[in-house]
Amino acid sequence: MNATASGARLIDPLTYHTIPEALHAAPSEDIFATMWTSEDEVESVRFGEFRHRALAQACFFRDRGINDGQRILLVMPQGIALMAAFVGAMLAGGVPAILAYPNFKVDATKYSLGLRGVSTNLKASVIVVGQEFPDGLMGHLNVERTTQLERFQDHYPVNSFISEIRERRPNDLAFIQHSSGTTGLQKGVALSHAAVLKHLAHLAPSLKLTPEDRIYSWLPLYHDMGLIACFMLPLVFHLPVVMQSPSAWVTQPATMPKLISDYRCSLAWVPNFALQFLARRVRAEDRASFDLSSLRALINCSEPVRDSSMEEFLSAYSGARLRPHALQSSYGMAELVFAVTQSDVSSSGPSRVLIDGAIFRKENRAVLVRPGTPGAFCVVSSGRCIENTKVRILDSDGNALAPGGVGEIVIHSETRLEGYINRPDLTAKVLDGEWYRSGDLGFVLDEELYAVGRKSDIIIVAGENFYPEDIEEIAASHPAIHDGRAVAFGRYNRALGTQEIILVAEVRSESDLANSGVIEREIRSAVSTEMNIGIASIFLKPPLWIVKSTAGKPARSTNREKLILEHVELQPDSGSF
Amino acid sequence: MSEQIQKMIDFVVRDVIRNQNVQIDVNTPLVSSGLIDSFALVDILLTLEDLTNTRIPAGKVQAKDMDTISLMFATAARVGKPRNV
Repeated sequence: MNATASGARLIDPLTYHTIPEALHAAPSEDIFATMWTSEDEVESVRFGEFRHRALAQACFFRDRGINDGQRILLVMPQGIALMAAFVGAMLAGGVPAILAYPNFKVDATKYSLGLRGVSTNLKASVIVVGQEFPDGLMGHLNVERTTQLERFQDHYPVNSFISEIRERRPNDLAFIQHSSGTTGLQKGVALSHAAVLKHLAHLAPSLKLTPEDRIYSWLPLYHDMGLIACFMLPLVFHLPVVMQSPSAWVTQPATMPKLISDYRCSLAWVPNFALQFLARRVRAEDRASFDLSSLRALINCSEPVRDSSMEEFLSAYSGARLRPHALQSSYGMAELVFAVTQSDVSSSGPSRVLIDGAIFRKENRAVLVRPGTPGAFCVVSSGRCIENTKVRILDSDGNALAPGGVGEIVIHSETRLEGYINRPDLTAKVLDGEWYRSGDLGFVLDEELYAVGRKSDIIIVAGENFYPEDIEEIAASHPAIHDGRAVAFGRYNRALGTQEIILVAEVRSESDLANSGVIEREIRSAVSTEMNIGIASIFLKPPLWIVKSTAGKPARSTNREKLILEHVELQPDSGSF
Repeated sequence: MSEQIQKMIDFVVRDVIRNQNVQIDVNTPLVSSGLIDSFALVDILLTLEDLTNTRIPAGKVQAKDMDTISLMFATAARVGKPRNV
């Protein structure tokens, strides 16, 4: 246990058997969650009231016949109601999973199909949608007959069933969090109470967590960083968390430093792009008005950590009393519950190394060079392994590499997933004995992990993973695009601090090129509607442009190189990886 | 069409969509059509504040309120507060 100057001691999560047990032990009068919607719409809840609201939701689920291990899907907007429903589902013996709330541009038929896909895969017994869930969309939802579709009910009566709430066991499933993929194809990772509690116990020392910490978050609760770091962690350690919705933040990013400043928050997690977004999209006069001195760690996680983004943020907020070492880094994923590594939050920020670019690309080795060396670039460490976690780097033949060798990051952790739900095929690809194959590329130096990209073609935009196959399928379904002849890939955009999506697709007939503007607009609209992501650039090409592999599939890297040769503006930024 | 509206159309085409071949008018869906994504909304919002000489309070605007140029100016009129007041 960590004791602080005030004498308060940090809770040891391993003293609890289950997550609800940790909530039960929380001091009733302490503030738990604050949901900030606007200046005149702020909702705060103390642990005691939150417990009551979660119990009410447990009653709601029990009245619908939920018992041990049944799956519950929650499709609700970010907020305290969603959090109460999540814990209530666990209290009732169910296993909840949070899905992204549909935005206003969603296509009802496609959304319904996606939801049905997830629901069928998880064998969901109940789907709960938010009170404001659009009636029009509700009418389109078509779920299995065995699945109950319910609208969330706040203030549900806490009835006599309370005494019947079953004690959960440590190895019972607590909840499901989803890894990447479009709605219908998401990979569900089931986590036990013991795994989550153990993970938090391992993570806390790396964060140097104290009872005085206060967390800020705009991260969605369907993402591991939002769910584990910004919901489970404060719940289990009895800490306050100040939240806003991702859409509110992205529309007006100044709200993040304002809330950190106003509520004196000490910990927050963000994907790399957010640092540049905050530096460039918040007015200078506003930045100077914030007091960020309470922020002891702003942790950069879930996409490669960029030195330039961190420097830009530090420079932009130097007048906001930001501690010089506040920017930190971490590496993690839903399959390991959350964190694998964490930089030393008491040090001067994550280590940075200058790497020889030519050797890195040609020989897959990270060789340190002096500043000013031509072609050199900087890589930022994601820190050292948290407790009870080990990392190895493997070459393409599966051999462990020496320090500095660039290869696939594989991880050993006590809190590793057992498998993706109902996806033994995908599970077999990522589990190798006791090790989890991340699909990420990186290297280790001085026991610190440096993540540099993905082994696969997955595209990471603003911390979210997108499979190019999903984008290509949508593009190829356009009547003017030749079946199977579309290629999507990610390109790092230095100005955004994250990847952007590039699509090249072959039209059926050369005459279709005269109609490029309309085709492009329709593809953009379809991708935006189905995946809630924009495409930065679309290139339509004449028949026979796309190069296929011997297996008959578009060769992504070959087509990418071909496109770059034709469009020099797509050349990677020098000095980036 | 007011000068401010034309300036906003020019800004969206030149700096957000970054494709002069795309033609939009005051009623062209921008977010729902995928022409712009949610990350661009902040730039549009800052420009809208400058063009209307207002500050739009945080938390009062959603993506659907910014889907067309018309909606943007209606939103500024509805929730915007005069600057320096």
